[in-house]
Amino acid sequence: MLIQQIINGLTLGSIYALFALGYTMVYGILLMINFAHSEIFMVGAYCGFWFLSMLPFLSAFPGLLIPAMFLAAIIFSGVLAVLMERVAYRPLRRAPRLAPLISAIGVSIFLQNLMMLAVSAQSQPYPESFNITRFQFYGATVNSLQIFIFLLSIVLMVLLEIFIHKTKVGQAIRAVSQNHVVAQLMGIDVNKIIAMVFFIGGGLGGVAGVLNGMYYGSIKYNMGFLPGIKAFTAAVVGGIGNIRGAIAGGFILGLLEAFSAGYISSENKNIIAFAVLILVLMVRPGGLFGEEVTEKI
Amino acid sequence: MKSAGRYILPAIILLLIVFPLVFLHSNPYAIQVAGLIGIYLILCLGLNITIGYTGLLDLGFMAFYAIGAYIAAILSINNVSFWIILPVCMLAGGVVRWLLGLPLLKLRGDYLAIVTLAFGEIVRIAANNAVSITNGPKGLPRVGERFSSINFFSIKFTENIHFYYLILFFVFIAIVASRRLENSRLGRALVAIREDEVAAELTGINVAAVKSVAFVLSGIFGALSGAIYAHWIGFISPEMFTFWESVFLVAMIVIGGMGNISGVILGVFLLVGVPEILRDTLGTRFVDYRMLIFGAVMVAVIIFRPQGILPSKRRALELEAHV
Amino acid sequence: MSEKILEIKNVSKNFSGLEALSGISFEVGKNEILGLIGPNGAGKSTLFNIITGVYPPSRGSVVYKGRDITGIPGHQAVRAGIARTFQNIRLFSNMSVLENVMVGRHCRTKSELFEAFFRTRGFRKEEDEIKSSACRILQDTGLLKYGNELAKNLAYGSQRRLEIARALAAEPGLLLLDEPTAGMNPRESAELMEMIREVRSKNIAIIIIEHQMDVVMNVSDRIIVLDYGKMISTGTPLEVQKDPAVIEAYLGTE
Repeated sequence: MLIQQIINGLTLGSIYALFALGYTMVYGILLMINFAHSEIFMVGAYCGFWFLSMLPFLSAFPGLLIPAMFLAAIIFSGVLAVLMERVAYRPLRRAPRLAPLISAIGVSIFLQNLMMLAVSAQSQPYPESFNITRFQFYGATVNSLQIFIFLLSIVLMVLLEIFIHKTKVGQAIRAVSQNHVVAQLMGIDVNKIIAMVFFIGGGLGGVAGVLNGMYYGSIKYNMGFLPGIKAFTAAVVGGIGNIRGAIAGGFILGLLEAFSAGYISSENKNIIAFAVLILVLMVRPGGLFGEEVTEKI
Repeated sequence: MKSAGRYILPAIILLLIVFPLVFLHSNPYAIQVAGLIGIYLILCLGLNITIGYTGLLDLGFMAFYAIGAYIAAILSINNVSFWIILPVCMLAGGVVRWLLGLPLLKLRGDYLAIVTLAFGEIVRIAANNAVSITNGPKGLPRVGERFSSINFFSIKFTENIHFYYLILFFVFIAIVASRRLENSRLGRALVAIREDEVAAELTGINVAAVKSVAFVLSGIFGALSGAIYAHWIGFISPEMFTFWESVFLVAMIVIGGMGNISGVILGVFLLVGVPEILRDTLGTRFVDYRMLIFGAVMVAVIIFRPQGILPSKRRALELEAHV
Repeated sequence: MSEKILEIKNVSKNFSGLEALSGISFEVGKNEILGLIGPNGAGKSTLFNIITGVYPPSRGSVVYKGRDITGIPGHQAVRAGIARTFQNIRLFSNMSVLENVMVGRHCRTKSELFEAFFRTRGFRKEEDEIKSSACRILQDTGLLKYGNELAKNLAYGSQRRLEIARALAAEPGLLLLDEPTAGMNPRESAELMEMIREVRSKNIAIIIIEHQMDVVMNVSDRIIVLDYGKMISTGTPLEVQKDPAVIEAYLGTE
């Protein structure tokens, strides 16, 4: 039982971690909560769904189909995120603190309803994209989908780590996260970097959406809402703005949810997640890995 | 010019009192909409104390609306008089808010936002799951039960128009309370905290205590409106207290003009009144597109007026020169 | 001989291993203007923060008017009688000039929620007093004509004055000024120094952090020099100027 919960938790955690990265990266660079990120997640899922249903001839080549589907989702979600930033957030860079938040909420409402009207208010089943084989592992059942989700997430996270810490663009991103003005003086095109961050965060969110769709077998126009709050919770618990924190937070949340569902009750698993959030923040206001930004007085 | 301005306020009050009597027979739906606007006004004026004056972002305010509504519902089913339920709900709202504030108000702005959001969800989910107390998703009252009606001297509150006046009364109180708070030592302390918390503390304001007062006060407003709403509509269920409702409240305040009573009123009219009016006039086809347009408009408005349509303006005071 | 209003006893402050202040001890007399100088990063603002209750010292104590106030929260320090200004101006930008000073009166007044709601007589009297005394302070500092302007719209020099005016509204016995003439031209600095002398004449002791040497040497009765968190010299401006330790600390910093 324990092993089963751990497996479930890691799978769930992988999705949350990828999802949380979008929140944390945007916060890190703009100090803003991108409420509409949950809709990027949703759009990514639908993108994958369309890809699968509209290109049935590709199902003959599963080896090509899956990567193509993810690529499509990444690009679509990433571009949408960049568009979102350009239209709804950039004009508000110097506005009072709450204004971008309201804008994000408006975007979120718009996208949700757009999808609801354009597609359907009902949930769509997500087509099976590959054959799931089940394994037994110390008394628990793992299936290949879970393994796939976990591995794909790890690969993406490692790529992200490398990108952020070992490339020049990654360095630029870190510079802008520290200080926009100084970064600009060093010759960095801040707007381009911000767009890049939205693209990456959005792309990862889109992947998370596809994985979510694959895992639960269905998608719906409002599928982003609750996972979005939870993923954001995970990002905050890990220390908002901190990439490794978001990953850690995502896995912690996934495991927490799996254990709550398994050992306590499925209905109350969300209360537990939120209660844990509140407790963590009371003890470590900066999140687990967050830096205590001490103000110079 | 100034003497004409003195008549605006009594004129508005008169208009508000007379308004439902005019529409009573021609368009009773208008009274219902007005009542709904009034409920949201009380809610938003309460939330404005936290967000607008003190600058604390609260994304789970509906939790207190829910607390007020559920306590009122449970007591009402047990035949407790509305006039006792009211202060009990207000007290409950205040106490819970106070307890919540003790650990939470120390958090940095964005974190406070998430934690209040989490609390809002916790309350909603708890209401959904604690079936024995709240009847879960089926809501209150249960089959075979009813809320007891409000009695005011010999008048029994059964019609929308009764509730309209009840709500109007409390809206009036809420507005007066907000204005008096605004122009007081405490009100200035709140705004100082919003502007610069550190400077406020080092200017002699006990920031933690003052934040708590603002927080508790808003909770009282929230619970009050929940109690009234429960009695009016006669039915409550957990889906009425979702996160999106909390978000709408924030949107009303920010779009209308944070920290400005007139702005809050405008915000409520725009975001509650206009969709209701449009729903009535444009019919069902519009309903589908309603939210889509709403989202787009929200983005548009905030981009063009980030400080809100009626930004907060501190009243000019008379300067005294000393000899 | 004026009695001492402030005693700093062996104060040290450690920030995760970095010793920002060590073994600082000095006294301030009731009517004194004490200059606090030292190269950047010497710990001057840290010392101010400890005195005003932003954070407690790691070791040592702060005694104000004979009462140990080490580690009390910021607002209580103000209530006790210690007010301050900040290195980077911290005004309430979207409040008017008058309101900024009225907020300064907060700790000397007591109307709470009840009084505000019911507009009691005590409340109204207090509000009048707050406005009246705020106006008087603005008049004394030459800012009354800007009374209804938003603080953020004021000229830089006036903003610094406003910060001092707000601090004075709390009726402090000790006023801490953190680089009040930063960014000012010589004429503005001289005017500000006049204002400071006037404040002292009202029986308020002053500690002033300054980088402009001519200003601080001119206005201070005594000087304390910090370097790397330690006190390296103390005495009259003349004595300190001649102290070789001080000269060495500043060598190359200019």
